[in-house]
Amino acid sequence: MMLHQKRIFSITRFSRCAAFAAIVLTSSLTAAPITAPPAPGPATGLADPAALRATVYGTPPQDLAPLPARVPLSEMDIALPWTRPVPDVFWFDRKLRVWFSAQPQPAPLAIVISGTGSDGNTSKLSLLRAALYGAGYSVLTMPSPTFPGFIVSTSSTGVAGDLIQDGRDLYAAMQQVIAHLPQEVQITDIDILGYSLGGANAAIVKSIDAREHRLKIRRAVMINPPVSLFSSIGRLDKLFAVSIGGDAGIERLYQQLYAQLANLYRASDAVQIDENFLLGAAAAVLHSDKEFSAAIALTFRIALVNMFFAGDLYAGTGVVVDPKHPPKVGDSLEETARILRTKPFSEYFARVFAPYYLQHRPNSTRESLIADNRLDIIGDALRTDSDYYVQTNSDDLILDQQELAWLRATMGSRIAVYDHGGHLGNLGDRRQIADMLAMLGGRWKGASP
Amino acid sequence: MKSPLLILAGSLALAGCASQGLKIHTLPEQTPAADAASAVRKAAEFAAAEKEAAASAGDRANLYEAPPVTPADAPSMRTYDPWEPLNRFTYRFNARFDEAVFLPVSNGYRRLPSPLRSGVHNFFGNLSEVDSTINFALQGRLGFGVRSLGRFLINSTIGIGGLFDVATKLNLTAAPTGFGTTLSKWGMHPGPYLVLPFLGPSTLRDGVGLLGDFGTSYAVDMGGLYRSTDKAWMLGVTNAVDQRSNVDFRYYSTGSAFEYETIRFLYVRRRLIEDEGLHADDPPKKRDVAEPAGQ
Repeated sequence: MMLHQKRIFSITRFSRCAAFAAIVLTSSLTAAPITAPPAPGPATGLADPAALRATVYGTPPQDLAPLPARVPLSEMDIALPWTRPVPDVFWFDRKLRVWFSAQPQPAPLAIVISGTGSDGNTSKLSLLRAALYGAGYSVLTMPSPTFPGFIVSTSSTGVAGDLIQDGRDLYAAMQQVIAHLPQEVQITDIDILGYSLGGANAAIVKSIDAREHRLKIRRAVMINPPVSLFSSIGRLDKLFAVSIGGDAGIERLYQQLYAQLANLYRASDAVQIDENFLLGAAAAVLHSDKEFSAAIALTFRIALVNMFFAGDLYAGTGVVVDPKHPPKVGDSLEETARILRTKPFSEYFARVFAPYYLQHRPNSTRESLIADNRLDIIGDALRTDSDYYVQTNSDDLILDQQELAWLRATMGSRIAVYDHGGHLGNLGDRRQIADMLAMLGGRWKGASP
Repeated sequence: MKSPLLILAGSLALAGCASQGLKIHTLPEQTPAADAASAVRKAAEFAAAEKEAAASAGDRANLYEAPPVTPADAPSMRTYDPWEPLNRFTYRFNARFDEAVFLPVSNGYRRLPSPLRSGVHNFFGNLSEVDSTINFALQGRLGFGVRSLGRFLINSTIGIGGLFDVATKLNLTAAPTGFGTTLSKWGMHPGPYLVLPFLGPSTLRDGVGLLGDFGTSYAVDMGGLYRSTDKAWMLGVTNAVDQRSNVDFRYYSTGSAFEYETIRFLYVRRRLIEDEGLHADDPPKKRDVAEPAGQ
């Protein structure tokens, strides 16, 4: 982030808002210069203290893999022929927005898919883009199918979170995007990767391509993927429940944070809240496992609020949006947001996702929908096709031991399981990047002992 | 005075027709290696600052006698926004203007050589020290006022008319303030949330403060920049482009239907927390800042 301390034009205040949002609300600092001592004992039973901290802070800057000095970057806004009528309140999400970095000479293209609820230009994607570009790839980064901008511009259903449907939509969008890349971009091969939910999306897209051959995707690398969406969202719901609780818990968390920040601010020499202050505050505010858990749970909850709202609007399920009177531009959505922030993933599944897919997918049941959203659905390909790879951590909080064991058994030697890092907490570090590049390049010889 | 209006009209026309099926923008080059190196440097500075803070924690505790802010003092999570329909309209206008005009221009500007841009940035920063000095004086914070004045004198002379920020290198870092903060110090509540055209989130008080700041610059007329020529608007435009090119914000990059609510929440909370800091050493009876834009 480039933030400077200036005034006059109060648009600069946006920057601080953005920083405030990034740090205080989501606490997902990439490369934050902070290493807090682990507190004793897991507070949530879902992850150990080190995993929680790694998940929030990400890779320390000194541990990052070597990155190139310069990476060109372009942004593409593309209207897709199949976009459904765009609801008023989403007027700004009409087009799919992706980012690409083109090598000056013919080069393989790496397509990278973002994690739950995120756009195609997150700080995690920036790290991966830089590493891939440095290794000679042209790079295309795409939003998650659960990102509102994707749901509105690209999804053929408006109800995000189904591996198969999202995979099809992604695959169709990729073809459009690649067809519209500037002519000087010369692609020799296509590889695909993604992190978190994007990892699972990447593997599904490759499996679709294996049947349809439209892109001829060579290899796929999944970074910290879920194994069962339903089980991972269950773990995230639980993380929210134990670290924050319900609406009263959100209010309490806000009041506590407000008081902490106010006192920190009063004790600082700062005359305004800027990046440096917030960086310090993030270190001072988060102490206990419960607080780290809350930061992670809140990040996912914010993503869910957006996905829930869009899904309810498109599916007409009427949980918060009256299907007969959908909100218009200029309507206040504060009450809607207040209701949605209390709702867990399980409620999205029960009240929006399942009703929609039960109606639109012949012979489906709740159980079949859950089963359809496991990596099992491409289990055979993962077992037998040597072009799929996985990188994950033994302490990733979206996986349980059985799921990790399933991944190991299924992928055989094509998996790297690191001891530490939590969920994506080692993304961009030397070893993760070196292994990822070896996998993509077909040079992976199995995890070193 | 016609040119800015023409530019505005032209840009609005542009804003209206920016809707073809495919748009490709070349963005400024990324510099990951340098970013990582600066993050490492920052981490070291941060660790050092933290150590120092821990060492002087005892002294600091004695400096502030006001009782600490408690969770019960936190304002409501709802924001007082009686002009919401108008504000939302303005927010949407700003988003479109930014996308069609402000952002492309500032992206172009960011391709100019970095020494040139930092010269421009320092120049405007230095001009604003005048306003900061006056407002710190009005706030009765003389220490800060002397710092701003010192920065202005050093940078205007050794820094060649403000093109170089020598003062920061001498450990006299920038601490800007404005009339909005002065009004707060004088006890004025933020009032309703207000989205200003072109400028973005504000409150009634901060909006008035901004007018005060513009007025001050005009009245002081440092170096005859504002009044002795009819090209003063160019100064304003350059300043605006400089500011925008230094801000990493993109309207609706969240993709979220709740972006208006989110920005409103964060902006107002941030200003309220700054008010808490501003009033920390007031006599106890005056310490009733926190309520205004929360109801």
